[in-house]
Amino acid sequence: MLRIENLTKIYPNGTKALDGISLDVPNGQFVAVIGLSGSGKSTLLRCINRLIEPTSGRIFLDDVEITAAKDLRPIRRKIAMVFQHFNLVKRSSVLTNVLSGRLGYTNPAASLVHMFGNDDLADARSNLARVGLLEKEHERADSLSGGQQQRVGIARALMQKPELILADEPVASLDPATAHIVLDHLEQMNKHDGMTVLCNLHFLSLARRYAHRVIALKAGKVVFDGTPDEIDDARFKEIYGEDAVQVEIA
Amino acid sequence: MNGKDQKNSIIAAVLSAILPGLGQIYSHEWRRGLVILIGLTAQAALFYGVGAQWLIGVMGLIWLWNIWDAFSLAKGIRVSTAAPIILILILNLIVSWKVTDIHIPSFQGEQRKVIGNIVSGLGKPDFISQKTRQITATAKYIVIGPGAPASIKQPAVKHGEPSITLSPSKVEKGTIITVTGVDFTPQSKGSMILLGADEIPAGSFHTDKNGRFEMKFVNDRYIPGDYFVQARMVVPTGGWSLSSTLKDAAPRMFETIYLAFIGTALSLIFALPLSFLGARNLMSGNAFCRAVYGLVRVMFSVLRSVEVLIIAVIAVAAVGIGPFAGVLALAIHGIGALGKLYSEAIESIEHGPIEAIKSTGANDLQTVVYAVVPQVVPQFIAFTLYRWDINVRMATVIGLVGGGGIGYQLI
Ligand SMILES: Nc1ncnc2c1ncn2[C@@H]1O[C@H](COP(=O)(O)OP(=O)(O)OP(=O)(O)O)[C@@H](O)[C@H]1O
Ligand SMILES: [Mg+2]
Repeated sequence: MLRIENLTKIYPNGTKALDGISLDVPNGQFVAVIGLSGSGKSTLLRCINRLIEPTSGRIFLDDVEITAAKDLRPIRRKIAMVFQHFNLVKRSSVLTNVLSGRLGYTNPAASLVHMFGNDDLADARSNLARVGLLEKEHERADSLSGGQQQRVGIARALMQKPELILADEPVASLDPATAHIVLDHLEQMNKHDGMTVLCNLHFLSLARRYAHRVIALKAGKVVFDGTPDEIDDARFKEIYGEDAVQVEIA
Repeated sequence: MNGKDQKNSIIAAVLSAILPGLGQIYSHEWRRGLVILIGLTAQAALFYGVGAQWLIGVMGLIWLWNIWDAFSLAKGIRVSTAAPIILILILNLIVSWKVTDIHIPSFQGEQRKVIGNIVSGLGKPDFISQKTRQITATAKYIVIGPGAPASIKQPAVKHGEPSITLSPSKVEKGTIITVTGVDFTPQSKGSMILLGADEIPAGSFHTDKNGRFEMKFVNDRYIPGDYFVQARMVVPTGGWSLSSTLKDAAPRMFETIYLAFIGTALSLIFALPLSFLGARNLMSGNAFCRAVYGLVRVMFSVLRSVEVLIIAVIAVAAVGIGPFAGVLALAIHGIGALGKLYSEAIESIEHGPIEAIKSTGANDLQTVVYAVVPQVVPQFIAFTLYRWDINVRMATVIGLVGGGGIGYQLI
């Protein structure tokens, strides 16, 4: 269970990106976070694993207070992150990228000389097989297509055996068909492995197709929290503004 | 790897055993093969040039690696090149230590000769010269008087070897002696030398087409006793060899290259860790980090802005004239120059991968190794080689103020 209490983030330049957010996300839920550009979606996700330090408010994962933790290692390794631009280390091999998902668990000294246990290696291969990229393990990450790179990103997330997955617009730079492959993987991880998913999405149609629950942000505040089919035209205009029109993604 | 592309690995191994790199070329790995071939040849020449022939033996390990590599490549497996590269680097560092440790005063004596050779060489560049052999024939004569031997026993001459006879062979001061030589190289010039405490030239001669000559000289020795005369002739043997100009200058040139090499290596050792502390993107976490960042960058700027020649002069004053002073000057200046370039390379990397690695729970060191290092390695290598290049040129100039190398020989 993820619990967020009164979370506020004010950037050093004065921008109030999050303004008193409170949320409860039960284990195993697939939550889509929507909202206009600049509404604070990325900031929210990055506060949860403390890539960004919140200004005030508290965040709990399974009754451990993330916002009070001194050692982030045991917390971050339970929370995997998937990025819009994949954020693979381009010059490293696909296998190394996937193995780096274990860095929160391995002996730090051993990992500095790229030593991973046989279990980790076997895990990495089976996760690569799961996303259908086993034959690419020795290729350089930047030699892969965008969709393939995002699948490597998912394999890296799987290596963490996470309880929670934070996906920051994981399909925004992919074509519609590829987007579905990637979201299908996230859905699998949610349904099959019971991982909680918090996923920023641009398209409401995708949120309707994949999410149990939709949270809409506007100027750092939660303006909608409910099931996808509760979002009618009025709600939509409230979230995206009067001039917005719904676009469908296949 | 494609099955029909595969080559016979035994043939590849044998080819590489005969000529390093050949087996790789046989497997269509042109670049790898040429790098191995040219690299190993150049490296062996370098070791030979600085008189570290014993290291050429150690390079046999790389030769073995090259055979193994050719064998594997033919099967489609690319083995890691890390081991031979590290070995080569270590061998060169060893040589650097030895070469730059030369004690300058110890070759003071030959200095004049070396400079003379270089200067005359500049007028008439001759990097190779014909191999030659000197042939000689010796005979004895007596200046008569009290204490002189009664009879002369001429040195033994083998049949067919060049020989000379003197007439007369018992003389007084002022007697003209006729020298007749046989079995010398035909149609060639030679010179006659009076042997003794000093070697005194006694004229020259020219052989006819049968290898005979006749010449005269005047004996001006008056102390009774026996004396030797020697006919000398320098003849080409057909081969070619490095000229003495190159032989004298080459070790200094290599010394300069190694001076630059170890100077670069030393600055690398210090600049590498410091550069991470001098990268703004890695050091913006808290006030302490920002202070360290500022300090390191100021240090880089100061080291870089002091002219190398001035550091060299100070180093000479501190550790004395010699290559070590030159190494110190290059290393100190290089820390500033390389450190700044490295730091800027780190600052220009993508931030995304750092975020991704951090979010897995990696600690700071792991994040640097997995997200930063792979992004900067190519630039670090390029900057380091560029620095070495600059250092070779600077090492020449540093020699002028007593920092060793070829520059030192030029003054
Ligand atoms: N590092 C930063 N410093 C200052 N302001 C920032 C910073 N990062 C984000 N902001 C501001 O905070 C607000 C929320 O940004 P955030 O990136 O969370 O929005 P978002 O919903 O993810 O938008 P998008 O859909 O474009 O990704 C924006 O106004 C943005 O300009
Ligand atoms: Mg965003």
